[in-house]
Amino acid sequence: MTKQFRIGSFALGLVAAIVVAGCSNSGGTDTGTSGDAKGGEAKGGKKPLVVFSQANSQDPWRKVFDADTQAAADTHKADFEFEKQDAGGDPAKQNNIVDTFMVKKPAVLLISPTEDSVQSTVDKAFDAGVPVIILDRNLKSDKFTVYIGGDNVEIGRQAGEFVADKLKGKGVVLMIQGIAQIGPTRDRRGGFMEIMKKNPGIKVIEGDDCGYQRQKGRAYMETFLQKGEHIDCVYAHNDEMAIGARLAYDSWAKTKPAGSAKDPLFVGIDACQTEVIDMIKAGKLDATFKYPTPGAKGVEIAAEILKGNKPKDKKIILPTVKVTKDTADQYLKDNPNLAK
Amino acid sequence: MRRANWLATFQRYQGLVGLFVLLCVAMGLDREHFFTAANFANVLNQLAVPGILAVGMTFVILTGGIDLSVGSLLGLLNCIVATWIVNDRGIAASIAFTLFIGVSVGALVGYIISATRLQPFVVSLAAMVSLRGVAYVYTNNGTVSGMGSKLEFLLDMHFGLPLSAWIMLVLTAIAAIILTSTVFGRWVYALGGNEEASRYAGLPLTKIRIGAYAANGLCVALAALIFTARNTNGDPSSGTGYELDAISAVVVGGTSLIGGFGSVLGTFVGALFIVCLNVLLILKGVNTYVGMGWKGIIILLAVYLQNLGRRS
Repeated sequence: MTKQFRIGSFALGLVAAIVVAGCSNSGGTDTGTSGDAKGGEAKGGKKPLVVFSQANSQDPWRKVFDADTQAAADTHKADFEFEKQDAGGDPAKQNNIVDTFMVKKPAVLLISPTEDSVQSTVDKAFDAGVPVIILDRNLKSDKFTVYIGGDNVEIGRQAGEFVADKLKGKGVVLMIQGIAQIGPTRDRRGGFMEIMKKNPGIKVIEGDDCGYQRQKGRAYMETFLQKGEHIDCVYAHNDEMAIGARLAYDSWAKTKPAGSAKDPLFVGIDACQTEVIDMIKAGKLDATFKYPTPGAKGVEIAAEILKGNKPKDKKIILPTVKVTKDTADQYLKDNPNLAK
Repeated sequence: MRRANWLATFQRYQGLVGLFVLLCVAMGLDREHFFTAANFANVLNQLAVPGILAVGMTFVILTGGIDLSVGSLLGLLNCIVATWIVNDRGIAASIAFTLFIGVSVGALVGYIISATRLQPFVVSLAAMVSLRGVAYVYTNNGTVSGMGSKLEFLLDMHFGLPLSAWIMLVLTAIAAIILTSTVFGRWVYALGGNEEASRYAGLPLTKIRIGAYAANGLCVALAALIFTARNTNGDPSSGTGYELDAISAVVVGGTSLIGGFGSVLGTFVGALFIVCLNVLLILKGVNTYVGMGWKGIIILLAVYLQNLGRRS
């Protein structure tokens, strides 16, 4: 009994210690918001608070998104405190995070919504008078201050123009598709098909939904190549699937007779990983189109709002960038925060 | 012996001690935001769903069982109620149907555990996988949107608290009365305390199990309604991992995973502890995944403390 008692008190002490350590640890790293961010307006040298609710931080594009946002926030350290929370893709959790942020009376709320179901929470924040900056995914209501995102239709069009130009208006394109029911897939496909309609010499084979995943893109391409159909180009709705298709093609090409038809073009979208840029430099992929991350622009707009400058446009569309062998090095220089 | 008593008393009020420690920490770290009326409302809003799930889980764990399927069931019911409302089948009918499905699935899980004599862990794990699959099939892999604010009355303020919080408080009170003052309640404790003895005493073990799991199913359905009111859509992936939050709340609240010991009031305190911890972590800007690590350690310690002096 005595021993158990001792272990018991020890464990109890440990709980207390851990709770204290857990929270005070963070108190040390979070630039000291607890003491000095009182509310939206700067009072007597107290800095306003800008909060950012990220949908998730798991995929490579979101990692770049986070890094860009943080880098931009670091340049404004003198103007405002910046806090970020990641909802791990769970909309219910994102609701809780935004509600809890609101307790701290932030001056600006940046949010990249997980899905439509965070609408009511965002509406509440906007109605409470907090400027809301929506990043990347749009919501249905118009209760926001400004939306910042890329334009997937335009990206699809540019990819289409690149392919039409390279093929000189003639050939066969295999399109490997992303998740069927979501907006970005519809847009990347729609923009591309718009250009293909103007080039009747190009035939488009509509490939499967490979869920934006490398391994699914690879498995699909392996099966497709078994059919022996001739293709001049592979257009994938993101880089991961383009890489998968290229890997499948490379292992298949080892078995084909030497001196047969030249390799097809491989075109992807996103340009958020150094791996992709390296493959472009090595000639394994031919082009990719940047799907811009909206975080840095969002932080800039937040800083402007704090200075009292209301943004003129309610919608800010960020331009894409075409990355090919010629521009790859420059692209790496311009985008230092790419994922590995 | 005095020390043994001290330990037993501590185990009974472990949740309160934990909550007290946490509130002291909050007092030290973030008095400015944590102890405000706005945050009080925020905590209550966040408490309703995990709190109600934890009340249901208390019944199950007191029988010596466990239910891993509550997160999946919540996801399925979330989709069902959203679909019914989108299809204009009427609010009352949609709510009644959701409660009915929740109770039925709970009762079925309890019946299977009794009939097959398999471990509750295994049966509810199977249910967790199947129900999640059913949710995806039911919604055809998509989300169900367009229900608008038809369930928003669940979040309306009454006497200073949102209706969802009242539902949770009343449910906790009813569950406490059932467990302490009815024959069924004593049977639940008896089954968890010593199954063999209960069998020889002639207790209707199958009925007790079905009752406890059905009560849990009812709680999941109520939680699903509030969840849907807050999220205003149906999502087959919703509720993932919620079973663990519910189990954590029960355990932190001083109910033993071995069964037969604990109380629903403790569970309430446990749920409050976990929500306060979540809120404090967000307020202090702690990374979500670091926060998960701390929660795991706290749960481990809570279980360890509960088991002291009981293992032999």
